[in-house]
Order: sequence, then structure tokens, then C-alpha cells
Amino acid sequence: MVEEQEKEDRPLTGDLMFPVRCFTCGSVIAQHWDEYKKKIKSGKSERDALDELGIERYCCRRMFLTHKSIIEELARFHGAVG
Amino acid sequence: MRIDFLDENELKARFIISDANIALINSLRRAMKNLVPSIAVDYVDFYLNTSYLYDENLAHRIGLIPIKTDLDKFNMPDKCVCEGEGCPNCQISFRLNIEGRRTVYSGDFTSDDPEIAPVYDNIPVIELYEGQQLMIEAVARLGTGKEHAKFQPVSVCGYRIVPEITIDAGRCTNCGDCIDSCARNVLEEQNEKVIVRDNMECTMCMECVKICHDRAISVEETGDFLFTVESVGTLPVRTIIKKGLEILKEKAEEMNSILEL
Repeated sequence: MVEEQEKEDRPLTGDLMFPVRCFTCGSVIAQHWDEYKKKIKSGKSERDALDELGIERYCCRRMFLTHKSIIEELARFHGAVG
Repeated sequence: MRIDFLDENELKARFIISDANIALINSLRRAMKNLVPSIAVDYVDFYLNTSYLYDENLAHRIGLIPIKTDLDKFNMPDKCVCEGEGCPNCQISFRLNIEGRRTVYSGDFTSDDPEIAPVYDNIPVIELYEGQQLMIEAVARLGTGKEHAKFQPVSVCGYRIVPEITIDAGRCTNCGDCIDSCARNVLEEQNEKVIVRDNMECTMCMECVKICHDRAISVEETGDFLFTVESVGTLPVRTIIKKGLEILKEKAEEMNSILEL
């Protein structure tokens, strides 16, 4: 029962690992990732979403804008290498 | 020397240090960045990992998660009674045993000490699919930014010279070129006169000085510095500043005692 609830609360997203920290300034950004995706899904623009989350610097902003999921690509080769 | 806080909260502070010199300010910056200790995961035991990520990759990600630090509770490993071997006085472990399908978040780690836990519990660590399992023990310890960036308690930590901008009203012809040339809108026109709007914004690019035909503007350094410090959450900003100053003092005293011998 608990597990099922958790499944609903924390659905799998198909994204592989958003970086925990910004590559340039080192500020922690991954805690905003789920929220950001929710905002984008609800039809908000990237700009508004990032402004609302309080991500000011452009180094951190590009981390969100340019993130690309690669889990599917990895999953295709799973078993072949490990 | 004086410190005035412009704005401050738990994670971010902006303050002005007046009548200081650049060498001292820079050493404070470096002390905060490299010498103030904080806790991060440094060693991970993998009992089982059938996820899509390699152990090393995962260990690196876990290491970057900021962990709430209590500096009074822990010793630096090299100064601990156990002489760096590892004991409850210098390290703390986090356990995790999760089966797919679900996302593992930083809040899923169970800590030995409830007060020492990840700062944010919604950082996605890894996604597990059907049949995948992760069973690990992550060991965290105190360290300094000198050793690895994950131990740094600050993300942004820098200063800027607060300049003194003077406009010679006798020479100025109000052409307005300086206002247009400034990228940060430091200058503005008021009652047909060029005035300084906000000298904190000035980065001393000297564009206004170069463009002025009448040589009416001068931008000069003062002994004031605008400091910006942003914490990653492991320690409150004020603690970081205090600790940085303490470390500087310690180092100066050590130097003194060497000279006295």
C-alpha cells in the first residue's frame, strides 16, 4: 500500500539524472527539478518557471534549459555491458 | 574597518566592508571558500547496485548532496582521536535500501543522527526501474574546499570594489553619452544634470570615462568592498563568515608564534 502511494507521489519521469549542482557556480539546483518540470507541463514558459523558482544566474538557468534525458538510450544497451 | 549588512537571510548575504584593503578581503574570501569545513559523503559502500548507473557515477552524485553540518559535533578526521581511521566522532553513515520501480531521492537516506541529514530531501539521486535494486551505505565526514569542491560551504563568494564616481559639474555639458554608454545604468539624468544613481552597480569598466569629451567624470577606487556570499545550505551564511575570520586569525597567530621563536 505504501509502495503504491509512493509510486503515485513520485512517478518515474524518464529523465536520467538532472545534475545535482550547477557546473559553473556550484549552487545546488536539483531540488527545483521536479517543481520546474511540473511548471513546464502546466504550460508555463521556461522564463517564468525559472523566475518563480528564484534561479537568477544564467549559469544555473542553462542547466535547466539544456538538460536532455538519456535514460532510454542507456536502457537499450542494458545487459550488453553490465 | 566596519561591516554593514545590506540584505541577509539563511542562505544569502550581501554586505559592505568599509576601510579595508584588498589583500585582507581576498584572504577572507579564500578562507570561506577553501578552509571552512563542512560535511559531505566521501566514501560509499555498495552492497548491491543493479541500476543503470555505475557505482562511481552514483557515488559522485551522492557526494554532491549538501548535508546539514554541526561543526561542534565532529572533528576533522586528521585531528580526531582515532587518527583518521574513522569513528563516530569524525564520520556519520547514511543507509539506503530501495527496490524499483521508483525514483530515489536524497530524503530516502536514513541517517545515524537525525540532525545530520541532507539539506534538501527532494534531490533526485537515481531512477530505479523494475527489478533494479540499490543497497548502499554512504559514509560522510568533514572536509574542506581545498580538498574537494563538494566540501565547500559556499557557492557564490566574491567581492567588488565600491567605486567613487564624481562628476565635475563645471566641465559637464550634459551630452548624455556617458548615460548611454553605461551597461549597468549607474548614471541617470535629473533636472538636466547627470547624477550617480547607484554606485554599487558599477563594475569600474571605465566606459563613461573614455567616452566623455569634457573629461568631467572620474571613477576611483575606495577602501569599500561589496561582498556577496551564498551558502549551499550546509551552514548558515553568518556561521561561514565567522568561521572564515576565525581561521584567518588562527593562521595569523600561528605565524606570530613562529616569528617569536
